[in-house]
Amino acid sequence: MAQQLAMVIDAAKCIDCKGCVAACKVANDVPTGQWRNWIKPTVEEVPIPGLLKSKPKFQPGACMHCENPTCVDACPTGATYKDKETGEVVINNALCIGCGNCIPSCPYDARFRNEVTRKADKCNYCPERRAAGLPPACVDTCPTKARVFGDINDPESAAGILYRKNKDRLTRISARTDTKPNMFYVGDPGHGDWGGEAVVPASMVAMKQSAPLIKGIVGLSGLGVLAMLGRQLLVGSDAEHKEDSDA
Amino acid sequence: MSRRDFFRASGLVAAGAVGGPALLGGLTKARAATPAAPAWESKFSACDMCFNKCGLIAQVEDGVIKKLDPNPKFLKSRGMLCARGNAGLAQVYDPDRLKHPLLRKGERGEGKWQRIPWDEAIDMAAQKMEETRKKYTPCGHLFSAGSDLHSQFVGRFAEVYGSFNVTSHESLCLVSGNRAFLDTYGEVPFPDVLNSKYIVMAGANRFEALVTPDSIDLMTAMREHGCKLVTLDPRYTKTASLSDEWYPIKPGTDMAFMLAVAHVIIGEKLYDPQWIEEKTYGIEQLTEHVRQYTPGFAAEECGIPAEAIARIARELAAAAPASMIYPGRRTSDYEDSTQIRRAFAIVNGLLGNWDRPGGLLAARAVGLKGVPYDAPWYDENQEDRIDADKVPMMFEHEGSFLVTRDSVLADDPYPVRGWFIYKTNPMGTAPNRRKTIEMMNKMDFVTVVDIAMSDTAWYADLVLPSQSYLERLDPCSGLQGSVACACVVKRDPIIDPLYESRSCFDIMKDIAGRMDLGEYFDFTIEEFRKKQTREIPEALEVMDRDGVYYNPSKVYGIYEGRIYKTLSKKIELYNQRYEQMGLDPLPIYTPPTKVPKNQFRLVLGRNAMITQSSTTNNALLHQFIPSNTLWLNPDAALSLGIKDGDLVEVSSSVGRQELRAEVTKKIRKDTVFMLSGFNTLSTMQSLSHGNGASINEVLEDDYDAVTGNASMHTTFVTVTRKVA
Ligand code: SF4
Ligand code: SF4
Ligand code: SF4
Repeated sequence: MAQQLAMVIDAAKCIDCKGCVAACKVANDVPTGQWRNWIKPTVEEVPIPGLLKSKPKFQPGACMHCENPTCVDACPTGATYKDKETGEVVINNALCIGCGNCIPSCPYDARFRNEVTRKADKCNYCPERRAAGLPPACVDTCPTKARVFGDINDPESAAGILYRKNKDRLTRISARTDTKPNMFYVGDPGHGDWGGEAVVPASMVAMKQSAPLIKGIVGLSGLGVLAMLGRQLLVGSDAEHKEDSDA
Repeated sequence: MSRRDFFRASGLVAAGAVGGPALLGGLTKARAATPAAPAWESKFSACDMCFNKCGLIAQVEDGVIKKLDPNPKFLKSRGMLCARGNAGLAQVYDPDRLKHPLLRKGERGEGKWQRIPWDEAIDMAAQKMEETRKKYTPCGHLFSAGSDLHSQFVGRFAEVYGSFNVTSHESLCLVSGNRAFLDTYGEVPFPDVLNSKYIVMAGANRFEALVTPDSIDLMTAMREHGCKLVTLDPRYTKTASLSDEWYPIKPGTDMAFMLAVAHVIIGEKLYDPQWIEEKTYGIEQLTEHVRQYTPGFAAEECGIPAEAIARIARELAAAAPASMIYPGRRTSDYEDSTQIRRAFAIVNGLLGNWDRPGGLLAARAVGLKGVPYDAPWYDENQEDRIDADKVPMMFEHEGSFLVTRDSVLADDPYPVRGWFIYKTNPMGTAPNRRKTIEMMNKMDFVTVVDIAMSDTAWYADLVLPSQSYLERLDPCSGLQGSVACACVVKRDPIIDPLYESRSCFDIMKDIAGRMDLGEYFDFTIEEFRKKQTREIPEALEVMDRDGVYYNPSKVYGIYEGRIYKTLSKKIELYNQRYEQMGLDPLPIYTPPTKVPKNQFRLVLGRNAMITQSSTTNNALLHQFIPSNTLWLNPDAALSLGIKDGDLVEVSSSVGRQELRAEVTKKIRKDTVFMLSGFNTLSTMQSLSHGNGASINEVLEDDYDAVTGNASMHTTFVTVTRKVA
């Protein structure tokens, strides 16, 4: 079986210390005020004192390197693609034109336009660190090891072991667009009502779905979008990504 | 032209258009080459962003630190590095760092500085210290040092200079708790959280105020071993939210709760009689004493149902000895904080958990040795510390900062006019900031050694830039971490020191050299380490290999056949020494002062991003916590006409501050809370200056009657909406 890199998270263990978020920012030079990963707090009323329901209160997350990544569908240049060997969803920076199409296409808000590089950015499982034999920064630093990373198809890997052990109770964040995330939560993940709907430019979806002949024609119209957004990039527009994707 | 260059060209879009779908299709398959591993050099060290000293591996490239990673072999920190630990880079490369020696030009606190060369700075420091010693006797000089591996050299310097007046940060933090446990067990314990089955946590917030390995072990114990956690806290903290049970206890009533727990355990004979007989002293007196403290009584005081108190007592006893009242750490809360913590210690005594799995553990042998020296004698000197005899049981080597400050202000019993401060910031950590400013103004000459222009440095005469923990050579340090380890760590420079920074040791050595005290600093740090490790010669090599050395010392049963360092040579439920000194031998509950009408009790607390005043100017951490807010209960806010986000004024008898209100049900109606470390006076702390509110400006400076530990929860404040 091919690899499937994934994160298996025990949200019940997260103490919201934000070590993972700080580690990611340093490891990946994420600009001030921008974030590749997060901890979502469970929005709950302060409970009646006494016995508390022990459900996860803090939910670690990041790009989920989905099985059906809508961000790949939305990318006009192919800069975003799903790596067949590892199952990662990769952004090839050299090809990214910073059009921002992919940003609203992610139902989990995992993507942003990096203010410095002006290209799409998101969690990439720290490939440089992995090449050096180290785990992703967030996983490495986590005090309670709430985040576990690895190839879930490899029964020997830490993630694979946890994945198998909890096979029956694994959950995913639900979203209105189901992209089949490769981020698995052991049991209850905490509140899941933040998963949204993928907004993929119609032209891009059509292009991917059409017969090759029509694809050419639609492709051209898609390229109109591309040209427009490419210009936005070059003049450094700060336009909201929601607007970007409406074309 | 490579594909990459091709698409970089500004014409890429047009080119794409020509290629059409075929080209796009081709691109979809394109692979970004697997990134190469960075050319990192990995170096071991230990974090210094708080006192925990977590083991780290610094990834260095071309002399620049790129990332700090946890050392997986470091058991005390369980292979983790928290947000602050990760933000170490932002401290080292902070543009606000002190870069060269600075001499004050204008008035104190005016911020006018002149850069001077090191030689001149050292000459001046030595000369001023000599002058102070001549004019006011050696005790006329005060030395303050924070928690740091070089701090011992400040202590050594003070001693050879002849001053008894040394204060640390501890009397603003934990000495009352240490006192209580020391006077009960003969030493200060380490809780074996990992193996505990039932933990009551009061006055501690272990999932936010990280203490290694306790914070981490607590989660493992809860989620993997089924340990139950009961939290008592007026705030719904993260610890509270992750607990099995939480009670918003009325602040200042913890002792009533503990005495009622003792009442139930004793009344229902839930303790192990043989253990109590063999190991403890004073069960009869305690039995008599706690008779009055029924769960019903405690319920009235604490606002926790009597049934819950009784049930918790029974559950604690059922899980004993693998159960505990978590000793906590920051015990600077009330004027009877030593007695409050004595009540904690006594319940643990009843649970019979001392020196046993899941209970309170004795310190283990680490193997490090002290490096002795003979300090000179000064005939002209004062007899004792300036804060001596003002509270009955102060810790000699820590002193009491608040008592010292009052004594200095009153010249009682003698004048102190010189102050040397290293890596501690009383202006940012001690309550009643105005008094600290007054104390500064009283001084003839103040020297501050730090990496940043703290508020304390801002009011000094001479400011000397020190090296950060990643730039200097440190002596070895022994660490304890319950079952995790008894280990030794050291720090070697990870990068060359930035700017003109120097280590505190080098500074002490240079000043001593100018004062005929050179013989006491006649060694290098390497030589010092050799002496420290003389009984564990393999340690230095092991530390080079693993970044840490573990002593294979015994964990449990250390006290088998050993006597306790107390008067009765047993665990003292009833404290004989206190009796002799006229202190309460058993803790007597006095209710906290009632919160006056239209006022609130101001409480403080930690957060995983904040180490006192030293991390609020950190550029990375600032992104997480850009400012502080005043937690205010919605009911209280409503009656005051305050909405979430409104600017409010908080005032006490000593000062006032303004900040934004955070209206939240996470706090009791009678209590307000804010984080420390904000609104610094120093403009050279660009992120924290003028940002939020300084808690020290508002906190009154009461202290614990037994140890002189600050009591930080005795201030009442008025909150009003500021009309913009
Ligand atoms: S989480 Fe969002 S960005 Fe990540 S692969 Fe899925 S759709 Fe794409
Ligand atoms: S480092 Fe771990 S425990 Fe801390 S916030 Fe991240 S996932 Fe949670
Ligand atoms: S707890 Fe955090 S700041 Fe403290 S020493 Fe450990 S990593 Fe550093």
